[in-house]
Amino acid sequence: MLPAAAGPGAVLPSPALLPPSQNALAGVHEPLSHAAETALWRGTELGGPVSDVLTSGFAELDAVLPGGGWPCGSSTEVLVRQFSVVEMRLLAHVIAAQTRRGRTVALVGPSLAPHAPGLRHEGVDERHLVWVDVDTPRDRLWATEQLIKAGTFGAIVSWLSHVRAEQIRRLQVLSSRCKGPVFLCRPEVAARDSSAAPLRVLARVETDWQLAVQVLKRKGAQLEETLLLPSVPGGLLKIMTERLRHPSRLQPVEPANVVVRPAAAAHQRPQVAATSQH
Amino acid sequence: MEVEASVRLFGGKRRLRDRVVAEATELGILKVSWASTGLAALAQARSNIENGFKKPMQELLDALPMDSISAVRPHSTTLAQMGCRTLGDVRALPRAGLARRFGAALRLAMDQAYGHIAESFGWEVLPEDFKAKLELGFRVEHAPALLQGARRLLVQMCGWLAARHAGTTAFTLKWWHDSMRSKDAGDSGLLKVGTADPSRDIEHLCRLLAEHLAKVELLAPVGDLELTADEVHDQAGHNVSLFPDDVEDGLAPHLVLECVAARLGPGAVKRCVVNEDHRQEWMSHWQPAAAPLPRKPAPSTDLPQPTWVMKEPLKLAVRNNRPVYQGELQLLAGPQCVESGWWDRDEEVGDTRLQVRDYWLAQSKHAGVLWLFQTKMDDGNAWFLHGVFG
Repeated sequence: MLPAAAGPGAVLPSPALLPPSQNALAGVHEPLSHAAETALWRGTELGGPVSDVLTSGFAELDAVLPGGGWPCGSSTEVLVRQFSVVEMRLLAHVIAAQTRRGRTVALVGPSLAPHAPGLRHEGVDERHLVWVDVDTPRDRLWATEQLIKAGTFGAIVSWLSHVRAEQIRRLQVLSSRCKGPVFLCRPEVAARDSSAAPLRVLARVETDWQLAVQVLKRKGAQLEETLLLPSVPGGLLKIMTERLRHPSRLQPVEPANVVVRPAAAAHQRPQVAATSQH
Repeated sequence: MEVEASVRLFGGKRRLRDRVVAEATELGILKVSWASTGLAALAQARSNIENGFKKPMQELLDALPMDSISAVRPHSTTLAQMGCRTLGDVRALPRAGLARRFGAALRLAMDQAYGHIAESFGWEVLPEDFKAKLELGFRVEHAPALLQGARRLLVQMCGWLAARHAGTTAFTLKWWHDSMRSKDAGDSGLLKVGTADPSRDIEHLCRLLAEHLAKVELLAPVGDLELTADEVHDQAGHNVSLFPDDVEDGLAPHLVLECVAARLGPGAVKRCVVNEDHRQEWMSHWQPAAAPLPRKPAPSTDLPQPTWVMKEPLKLAVRNNRPVYQGELQLLAGPQCVESGWWDRDEEVGDTRLQVRDYWLAQSKHAGVLWLFQTKMDDGNAWFLHGVFG
């Protein structure tokens, strides 16, 4: 009895069991009502914003972030190959916007000292910028957690080199109380591990005044392509010449193509040795 | 405490009573009772009866022992010899004779307790200074454990501050060591705690005190605590917004930073002040976040500046006449010549802080856009890395 019912000849003729594509062609699939359509989330769409968002200052990046910007009340991971190279170029716009609004922005444990005259070129009002200068991983985590718990900061940027997945999870849970965005800067190798942060971004610096940004994780479909965002930091736009616009064209010529006179080479040797001693 | 007029404000008798009972124990009050007159409530509290509204007041009071009312006590022996045991017995005595034999004060107190005559109370006047002592129930050997006792004192202080519409910016916790201590321990120790804004927020003061206590090491077990409010400033209540617009319900940033600084040290939480100087080291300096900022920020240079600087310039090696940092660097623009500081004398070294540097913009494949300078050293020119446009 059972094999007969399960056979293809027995089942297919029934109209209710046609594959979905044929269903639609046959007009069985009715268009959804407007309310159902708006409530429906399709797998190909971006996730809706959970909270407020702040624009990143890059139109291309905003277009691929859920809600159109950095999420507030949530933590965002920024993965970089080495610290202090690309983070400020990526985040300067949101930091500047928050400080100009009079909201305090905290930098927790950056590897180098922030330089206010340079940050002013990015539009940051340094009076609302606080540098929490901590060194040990434990203090970094503790300070970050305290600031997130307060919930009143305009933005928190924390550099965490050694951090475990459950610690990130804890920070993410606490972030929901926070009014501003929380950025956790981590080394690039952390991309291999899973993380509780709902948004993960991998950023790298490119030669011709560009940032290569990859969105590793977001609410919604995964983004495969790498975005190239234009970024000229620290007021360099004022001295930008046509030649400077493409530093990649200024790459040094390979020494193999240059004829070096023996006398000049001999003169050069001791100088190299002397300077590299220091 | 006269609560009749405030019952509606606090959401009914039951809720007001619950709140009073809950908060009174924190203040160190042992018994709470309530009745229609103050003296009756006091008499009930002495006999452990909390609710004076369960039965008619007269019936409740009649059953109490007669010395529950203070005015009866001086005459209790005489009254006992007359066969009186309870307040009811005293009340049953002829009124005129009672006043003649025991004085008008006794009759007045009885009448006030039973509500026949309106009561009048003297105003409670708060002391000008706050100083409270607490004897701990047990000896405390670890400083953080003092917090439990100190919290009770803090609650009292915050109550005092609230009544005076004031806030404190500095308070002192003093402790006395137990008599069983070594000779060199001394008999007491103290801890001064300061906060930037006048505050009477128990939670904030408590957190601050906890951070400070965490760093204290007690020399001997502690038996007594004393809390003093050192600096008291007027603090008016905040106006509450009519519309729920951008209400800050978290802890204000400067309060959190204070707690962070209390644990990590005041130098760890910094704010920037920009100076008018061309030398990069003196272009800005960082000061503790609690220190006041200048009212008007100084203007800074229009020329490009890096967003990060090295704490100390890093000397670079040179290969093929190019400075090397994670590979050979490509110089993009420069030089920006800085020669300044001949007027700035460093007394300790006995030399001026003169800087003669040529700043260059350089690009590295991995390390991004860098800020280098070249300066004359004893053995020729040397390259240093000083900042990153990151």
